[in-house]
Amino acid sequence: MTADLSRLLNALGLVAVDTVLVLAFADQVWFRDLPCPICILQRAGFVAAGFGLALNLMFCPRPSHYGLAILGALIGGAISADQVLHYVVPGSGSYGNTIFGLHLYTWAFIAFAAVVVGCGVMLLFDRQFESGLPPSPMTLLPLSAVALLTLLAVSNVASTLAICGVGLCPEAPSGYLIFHENLGLARLESP
Amino acid sequence: MMSLPLLLFACGLGAAWTSRREVAMGFCVAGVLVLLALFRFHATDVLNLGL
Repeated sequence: MTADLSRLLNALGLVAVDTVLVLAFADQVWFRDLPCPICILQRAGFVAAGFGLALNLMFCPRPSHYGLAILGALIGGAISADQVLHYVVPGSGSYGNTIFGLHLYTWAFIAFAAVVVGCGVMLLFDRQFESGLPPSPMTLLPLSAVALLTLLAVSNVASTLAICGVGLCPEAPSGYLIFHENLGLARLESP
Repeated sequence: MMSLPLLLFACGLGAAWTSRREVAMGFCVAGVLVLLALFRFHATDVLNLGL
């Protein structure tokens, strides 16, 4: 596999990670489905997984970048598996909305597993690491994917600060805490 | 506190945009460690499972 093909596949993988984070934001904003603390940590896991792919795009593909992506996905997967196991017993409830019959944390676990498998497969191809040339400028797709990941990371910082303030999050957030508690400007309640 | 790992990742991406790869990786590793610590802090409930 050439470095160019590797970069294309990394860009597609990063677009997939970006899509997950955008959908999570859409669920939060449009459906007022505020993320729980564990859900916020899963989002951070996606940003960590995307981070490794972004480094492959901004610099040359390297095993250490894939390692970061796998580490992020493993931790995110452990967090989502913990949440799945909380609700796996029938009658033990659930958290948040469902998409195609599965809760977001279940989809997150599947997505994290896909990142680990994808990076494992990519690591099988040694030729992508052998170019030795300085990285070429990013084309539109990788540039957009990395820019969107950066925007989503910053947006999630702002969103988490709005929901949780500067401390730890409430277990089941009912509104944007920073408006109610810290600034006293407004209160945006979830239904 | 909960935004700290995301903030570290955002800083790391900022470093990557300015071509500082080692700094970016440092921020990412720090973010992963903070993420692990926060998970440990939040995952306190005993799972209702008999394995």
